[in-house]
Amino acid sequence: MKRWLKLAAGAAAITLATAGCAGSSGTDAGSASSSAPAALSGTVTVWLMTGSAPTKLTDALNKEFETAHPGVKVNYEIQQWDGIQQKLTTALAGNTPPDVIEIGNTQTPYFASTGVLTDLTDAKADFNGAQWLKGLAASADFDGKTYGVPFYAANREVIYRKDMFEQAGITKAPTSNDEWIDAIGKLKTKFGSDPDFQALYMPGQNWYSLLSFIWDNGGDIAQANGKSFKSTLDSAGAKAGLEFYKKLVDTSATKAPKDADESKPQQATVYGAGKVAMMIGLPWELDTAVKTDASLKDKTGAFAIPSKTAGQSAPVFLGGSNLAIPGNSKNAAAAKEYIKLLSSAKYQAQLAAAGVVPGTSTDTSGLDSSPLGSVMAKASVNGKAVPASAKWGDVESGQNPIKDMLTAYLTGKKTLDQATADANAALDKLIGG
Amino acid sequence: MTATQNVSMPAGATPPASARPTPLRTRRRGRFGDRLLPYLLLLPALVAILVLLAWPLIQVLVISFRKLDLGELVRGKLIWVGFDNYSQTLADPEFWTITVRTLIFTTAVVAATILFGLLLAVLMRHLNPAIRILVQVTLVLAWATPVIATTTVFQWMFDQQYGILNKTLDRLGFHSFIGFSWFSTGPSTLTVIGILIVWQAVPFVTFTLYAGLIGVPREQYEAAGIDGASPWQTFRAVSWPAVRPIMTMVTFLSVLWDFNAFAQIWAMREGGPDGGSTTLAVVLYLKGIAGSHFGVSAAIATLMLILLALITGRYIQLLVRTKEGDLS
Repeated sequence: MKRWLKLAAGAAAITLATAGCAGSSGTDAGSASSSAPAALSGTVTVWLMTGSAPTKLTDALNKEFETAHPGVKVNYEIQQWDGIQQKLTTALAGNTPPDVIEIGNTQTPYFASTGVLTDLTDAKADFNGAQWLKGLAASADFDGKTYGVPFYAANREVIYRKDMFEQAGITKAPTSNDEWIDAIGKLKTKFGSDPDFQALYMPGQNWYSLLSFIWDNGGDIAQANGKSFKSTLDSAGAKAGLEFYKKLVDTSATKAPKDADESKPQQATVYGAGKVAMMIGLPWELDTAVKTDASLKDKTGAFAIPSKTAGQSAPVFLGGSNLAIPGNSKNAAAAKEYIKLLSSAKYQAQLAAAGVVPGTSTDTSGLDSSPLGSVMAKASVNGKAVPASAKWGDVESGQNPIKDMLTAYLTGKKTLDQATADANAALDKLIGG
Repeated sequence: MTATQNVSMPAGATPPASARPTPLRTRRRGRFGDRLLPYLLLLPALVAILVLLAWPLIQVLVISFRKLDLGELVRGKLIWVGFDNYSQTLADPEFWTITVRTLIFTTAVVAATILFGLLLAVLMRHLNPAIRILVQVTLVLAWATPVIATTTVFQWMFDQQYGILNKTLDRLGFHSFIGFSWFSTGPSTLTVIGILIVWQAVPFVTFTLYAGLIGVPREQYEAAGIDGASPWQTFRAVSWPAVRPIMTMVTFLSVLWDFNAFAQIWAMREGGPDGGSTTLAVVLYLKGIAGSHFGVSAAIATLMLILLALITGRYIQLLVRTKEGDLS
């Protein structure tokens, strides 16, 4: 009898092992697509990104939601940006995905096009659809359907030292490219004797700023043709934008590395050292600088990125996030209610007060009290996004041809024509077709 | 410490093969279950090996014949594309450029690692104990530093504006190095990364080779000295036979590690500038993790595996064949 027992044990072990393997292969996912319980119950898992919404806001939001829907428990988790795409990919492929997720606006087309998000077209009205921030909303549209709700956005502006401008005899903030270059000249004349002084801190790969200049000159990164894209980095407008970028770098004689972006090193830290008169950045970068030197808070002002046309401001890149519901969410109905509450005027006003441009409300009065925030809010009206290509994720999470183009051109390794032609071909390879 | 100096270690000698127990002639009396028992006892280990090693390998192979992007992964769709992923990869001229670059990079880094490791090992054999211990501690510290930390330190050292290297070169009179960018071209970036990888890999190779060298009895060196052998002849005749099999092994391991090196390359410049320091491991990451094209990246992984097998095939053969290298 004993041997049969052993055989059976062996057989059981094999069965268990193979069963375990089959279970982990994930071929049986996607069976749970229909889920619409009549009454809201269960748990709604919410993943928001770190730094998106202040804790005060989310605490109040979660409390109000749980009070309004007694059967539902909110499982609120804060995620880190680092490696979020991989984490979302894994989570979406699993059997128990979160119910509400925040996706960066440049990543949204990728997730929308793969069909892993819930179609929210019919629910737009519930989420204050009439007041959506256009630049953000476009990123969540795919094939005429809407897969995401704008959450918040921010755009870059020129952050500058009011005291230095005053000492250099610049009476008003520049409102055209010529005035801007002029201001750099005056600042250099006044402070140029200090070898550490930089009129404008401009790293070589600040490609979000380049986008502003390209758009301002009538160019674009890529042209949409139905669902396909053709990159247009070799257009006259793109070249003019690139030339202006070089003009800024050359005129200001910035010491920033030409082969890195504004985060290497963090430009706010450089600004905080007090030897930089201007940088192109987001309003909250000042908070980082203030940590080094508290007096900078009162000395710092902001103006919108100037345009080549006097009196206007250049179009700006809108960076931000959308909210979405994974297609295989187990509690999509509750998730919709949650987003509805978050997109209501009350919480959008709190978002504005926290210093970002709200996604589902045109009311930005919350930003007025902040000198840097109000400038940003004004410029955001002219906000644009990167091409809504499903493959855009490859550009940002991989090797960005636009950054390579900037470095090659600024260091003189390639001519303007060669740099733009190469980058155009490289971008076409990533998002074209 | 000095007392242990002259004790000759038997480490160089091949340990005697474990005596095989003479098979008990109990086949007649033994029941079926008794004969099955050893195999059943082996089963758990076998299952573990299959699950942990064979299964992922088979998965990668299977995935390489599928179209598997995020959408397919989430919906669990099975789309077989045959050899499409392979033909697509192999038809890309950039893939071949990168393959050649990876091979040159691997060869250079492995050669430098082995050379420096061997020189240091021989040096350590001749140093006085106090200094030798100092060298050993230094090597262990270099070895123990986390990869990303070392990479960051190297980035600072080679920094265009604030790097200590450019400043030192400037002080030494090479003024053209002020503001010199070490990361402006692919080959120069790869050279910096290569130095970094060699720096991290040398300690292991040194210790392993040193272990082989101390296995050589002192008398053999004395005998060589009496015979009037030059240092080079001594090395050829006495040291070399002792370290050769170990050298084969560390070369083999270094090839595997350096061919697959990713963290240092990615952390340094993300394969830039302009893709100039991109190796096959970086391509794998770009396609698979950054781009979520798991089918294509599985095909690249399989191609890399085949390539590695081709390169190391000879070493594996040597390891199995040579008497000294018979590590089993």
